[in-house]
Amino acid sequence: MSRYIDRFNATDRIVHWVVAISFFLLLLSGLGLFAHTFFGYFTLFGSPQQGILVHKWAGPVFFFASLLLFLRHAGDTIHFDADDRRWIAKFGGYLSRQRQEIPQDKFNAGQKLFGIFAIIAALVMGATGLIIWDPTAYGRGLTQFALMLHGLFFTLFMVGMVVHVYLATIGNPGTLEGMLWGRVTKGWAKKHASKWYQKIVKG
Amino acid sequence: MKRKAFLIDTTLCTACRSCQVACKQWNKLDAEASVNSGSYENPPDLTPQLYNKIHFIEQQEEGEDLRWLFINRRCMHCADAGCVKVCPSAGALYHTKEGLVAYNQEKCIECHYCVNGCPFDVPRYDEKKKVTKCHACSDRIQNGLLPACVKACPTQTLKFGDRDELIAAARGAGKKLYGEQDLGGLGVLYVLDDQPGTYQLPKNPAIPASIFFWKDVVKPLGILGFWGAIGVAALHYVTVGPKQVEDSDDLENKGGE
Ligand code: SF4
Ligand code: SF4
Ligand code: SF4
Repeated sequence: MSRYIDRFNATDRIVHWVVAISFFLLLLSGLGLFAHTFFGYFTLFGSPQQGILVHKWAGPVFFFASLLLFLRHAGDTIHFDADDRRWIAKFGGYLSRQRQEIPQDKFNAGQKLFGIFAIIAALVMGATGLIIWDPTAYGRGLTQFALMLHGLFFTLFMVGMVVHVYLATIGNPGTLEGMLWGRVTKGWAKKHASKWYQKIVKG
Repeated sequence: MKRKAFLIDTTLCTACRSCQVACKQWNKLDAEASVNSGSYENPPDLTPQLYNKIHFIEQQEEGEDLRWLFINRRCMHCADAGCVKVCPSAGALYHTKEGLVAYNQEKCIECHYCVNGCPFDVPRYDEKKKVTKCHACSDRIQNGLLPACVKACPTQTLKFGDRDELIAAARGAGKKLYGEQDLGGLGVLYVLDDQPGTYQLPKNPAIPASIFFWKDVVKPLGILGFWGAIGVAALHYVTVGPKQVEDSDDLENKGGE
C-alpha cells in the first residue's frame, strides 16, 4: 500500500497557484503605488505605466481565482466545531514543542480562518480596486476611503501571507507537497488532519 | 532661499481676469469652448487648460444691491501638500526651493492619486493624462521674473514675494489672512471679505483623514508588519521549531492498515 493519500486534485492545485502567482504579480506591481519608498519595483515591469497595467490585469484574475478557490473549499472552511475552538485557544499547538492532539478536519482552524480572511480581503481589494481604477471617476470622499482600505487590506494580506507561506512550507514539512503534487504522506495526514484522515481511510 | 508666496487681497479684485488670460498666454494654454451659465464667471471650473480663474460669488439679499465677491482660485502651494504626499513618483510633484509646488510631467505616472490628496481639489489632467495645475511660474521665478498672473494684475490684488514680508505688510495694514498656519502654511494667502465658506474654501483645510491614515499609519504599519511577521516566523523556527512528522505517525499508520 502507498505511503501517500490524495489531498488536492489537479483543479484545486491549478486554482491555488493561479491565485498565488497573481498575488505576487499584484504585490510587486502594487508596491510602487503603495509608497514612494518602493517606487523602484516598477523597474521590474519596464515602466510605471506598464506596472500599473499589469496590476490592472492581475487584479481581476486574482479576484475571480480567489472566489473560485474559496467556493471549491467553502464546504470544508466555514464550519467550526469544538475541536476548532480548542485549536484556536491553543494556537494550534504552535507555541510549544510538546505534541498536542487536537483532531482537525481537512483544514485546521487556522487554515479555515485564513481562507475566510482571504476571501473577505479579496472582496475588499476587488471592490476598492474597481473604484481606484480611475481615481477621478467617483466622488473624492469615496475614492480617498477606497485608497485607504486598499492599503489597509494590502498590509493585512501581506502579514497573513508571510504566516501562510511559513506554515505551509518550512513550518510544517510535508504540507507543500499536498499543494505541489496533490498528495501527502499518511503520517502527515494523521498528525495534521486526523479527522479528515479517518474519513478517507474509512472511505 | 526664503519661502515665497502669493498674497491675494480679494477686496481689491475687479474681476478683470487679466491673471486668467496672462497665465494662459505664458503657459501657452489653449482656449476652450464653454457655455453661458447665467453668470459672468467663465469657465465654471479649473481645467487642464486653466490654472487659475476668477470665481464670481453673487449675493443678493431682499431689497439690497447685488454684492459681488471675486476670488482668484488656483493651487495653494501648501507646505504640507497632500498632492506631494500621495504621489508615488518622487519628483513628479515637488517643492521648489522657494517652497512652491511645481511638477515634472515626465515623471508623472498618470495614477491620478494627487487629486485625492489635495484638500482644494486643484490638480487636473491633460489629454496625455498627466498632472497640470498652477506651478507658480517656476520658470519665470527662477529667472527673477514675477509670475505672469501677478505681473498682469492691474489692481495689486495679486502680490508675490517673500512670505514673511507679505504677511508682515498685511498685518501692518490690519488685514486678516486665510492660510497663514494651515497645512504648514499655504503659499497662497488670501485677504477675504467674508467667511471662507462663502468663497468655497474649507474653514480648516487639512489633508483628508483617510489619506492621512493611509500614508501616516497604514504605510509604516505595513512595513513593520511585513518584517515583524518574518521575524516572528524566524523566531518560531529556531525556538519551537517546525512541526515535523515523526516516525511514530508513520508506524501507527502501518499498524492500522
Ligand atoms: S497623477 Fe502624476 S503627479 Fe499625480 S500623483 Fe500620480 S504620478 Fe503623481
Ligand atoms: S493646493 Fe492641492 S495641488 Fe496645490 S499644493 Fe496644495 S495639495 Fe497640492
Ligand atoms: S503663477 Fe503662473 S502658472 Fe500659476 S496661475 Fe499665475 S500665471 Fe498661472
